[in-house]
Amino acid sequence: MALLQLDNISVAYDQQYILKDFNLSLEKGQLLSLLGPSGCGKTTTLRLIAGFLDAKDGSFRFEGKDYTRTPINKRNFGLVFQSYALFPHLSVYENVAFGLRIRKVKDDEIRKRVMKMLEIVSLHGFEDRFPGALSGGQKQRVAIARALVIEPDLLLFDEPLSNLDANLRVNMRVEIRRIQQELGITTVYVSHDQEECFSISDKVAVMNKGVIEQLDHPSVIFKYPKTEFVGRFIGFNNFITFTERQADGDAVLLTVNGLPFRAKKVPGMSAGMKGAIRPDDLLAGTENEISEGPNVLDGTVKVSTYLGRSYQYIVETALGEFTVNKEMLSPFENGQRIRLLVPPEKLVLVD
Amino acid sequence: MKKRYLYMLLMPGLLFLTLFMIFPLAATVGSTLFQNGQFTFSHYTQFLTDAYFLEILGTTLLVSFMTTIICVAIGFPVAYYISKLPPRGKSILLALAIFPLLTSSVVRSFSWMIVLGKNGLINNALMGIGLIQEPLSILYTPTAMIIGLVHLFLPLILITLVGVMENINHDLVEAAQSLGASRFSAFRKIVVPLSIPGLIIGSILVFVGSLTAYTTPALLGGKQRVISTFLYQNAITLNDWNAASAIATMMMIITFVVIAIMNKAAAKFNPKG
Ligand SMILES: Nc1ncnc2c1ncn2[C@@H]1O[C@H](COP(=O)(O)OP(=O)(O)O)[C@@H](O)[C@H]1O
Ligand SMILES: [Mg+2]
Repeated sequence: MALLQLDNISVAYDQQYILKDFNLSLEKGQLLSLLGPSGCGKTTTLRLIAGFLDAKDGSFRFEGKDYTRTPINKRNFGLVFQSYALFPHLSVYENVAFGLRIRKVKDDEIRKRVMKMLEIVSLHGFEDRFPGALSGGQKQRVAIARALVIEPDLLLFDEPLSNLDANLRVNMRVEIRRIQQELGITTVYVSHDQEECFSISDKVAVMNKGVIEQLDHPSVIFKYPKTEFVGRFIGFNNFITFTERQADGDAVLLTVNGLPFRAKKVPGMSAGMKGAIRPDDLLAGTENEISEGPNVLDGTVKVSTYLGRSYQYIVETALGEFTVNKEMLSPFENGQRIRLLVPPEKLVLVD
Repeated sequence: MKKRYLYMLLMPGLLFLTLFMIFPLAATVGSTLFQNGQFTFSHYTQFLTDAYFLEILGTTLLVSFMTTIICVAIGFPVAYYISKLPPRGKSILLALAIFPLLTSSVVRSFSWMIVLGKNGLINNALMGIGLIQEPLSILYTPTAMIIGLVHLFLPLILITLVGVMENINHDLVEAAQSLGASRFSAFRKIVVPLSIPGLIIGSILVFVGSLTAYTTPALLGGKQRVISTFLYQNAITLNDWNAASAIATMMMIITFVVIAIMNKAAAKFNPKG
């Protein structure tokens, strides 16, 4: 049975529904990410789980018990805030010890657990510092230690890395994943950064306007987005809206404007009429390199930009503009006529 | 323009301060230390050994102290409530809180006389419901002064506390709650310590204000003197300017000592970082 279960939850601010009939479940020991653009309701979901918000409807079950009306301070969940929320008047040691002091743990036991936790987050020797004298990454480690030391039943992160610079973000997310797995602690992690979510999660829920559009393993979502929204969000920049669709063995035959396309059939594939493909998966070549046929489009280079590893072109075709990335020594010129090939196994059908 | 000429811009203000503040102050303090051209502390020893003066000093300090304590006790929860309101409600309540500051303290004191007097609102009401037989004497006691001064200075402590509390990140309170703290213990362990700088500044304003207030104690205190009314009596009624100067100097010293002590306390409690 799932450890955490949200059933038909609704949340509204000023009569306006932010979450409606929202469902989510999570197994023990897993790390689940909520991924979505700003304003889609990730924080709302997290605050509901934490107990800062009351659901208008629906129920929240945890370990088989009804938690819908359990007050925050009785939930034993650890929270890590985007703003770190360290207590500025307390030392690092006292910040981490805070939850244990509330629980009236004995002083020598507190000392043991705080020191061990500071060890785990690599902050040994920082006990006497005050939050004002720490870097962003160190503050975040203190925040994590403070949330973990109470041995929470669930750990909640709200965009914990978005105030850090790029390098530190990558290091910290590896760190978070390491600690989470080491302690086997069930975690809900909120972020709007897809790479961050994909790299550390057992499962990712992609959210849009208060609804989970897709919930799956990161590798499945990465390859097979279910909807156009998910596709766009994770970098499928090119879409073709087909007018006809029929099955043909392990392939799907598609048509638009009389142009024939094939896509590889995969289990659980959407019945939608839209095809999506990443700029990296689209092949580009001169008229000599790619011959006419199914899955091929003629086009003209409109814009070209240099991305470092590859060049990126915006190509004008009969089906609209396409974005394609290609590694090459001498780039195409603007206005040059080229052909695009859509590999059938890379064309994903979405709703 | 050369940089050093910029300092010239300070001259008018500096001149004004020197002429109208520093010079008179120095003259006041200086005059208390001489008698017939002889250096002496006699003006002070004369007061500090006078039982009547010591009683006035004691009353003044007690009244100021009680006013400060009551302002803090009332102001703290109210300020916390106001600081958590949405912006609109906050500005309305703050405006209401500041309103008493905009009425003259004479008018305010007379209103209190009507409320607190032997035939006043409170006594009439209490006798009306039969709780007391004889009217209480509240007016013309230190209690009346304290009531008037609390009314006068509560806005000051509210404004300073709301300013400090507004800047406490609400995430801190939520973090404390998520770590198991009840609302009350989150308030006690997070909001209270982080409000101490504002509390100390507010208390200094109230304490010093009460110590030097004149109108309110003069009207509500009756025969009961405080330092400021005693000073006035010496200067205007008795025309003893040397004594008045000595009292004024002692008031300044007390003020400085109080501010120094409170600043020490502020430095000690100030959140690090
Ligand atoms: N306190 C609030 N009052 C009114 N609307 C709110 C409040 N908090 C959030 N919202 C609205 O709820 C929606 C979802 O917000 P949020 O959960 O914070 O999104 P996310 O964390 O995904 O960026 C947004 O449209 C936001 O404007
Ligand atoms: Mg958010």
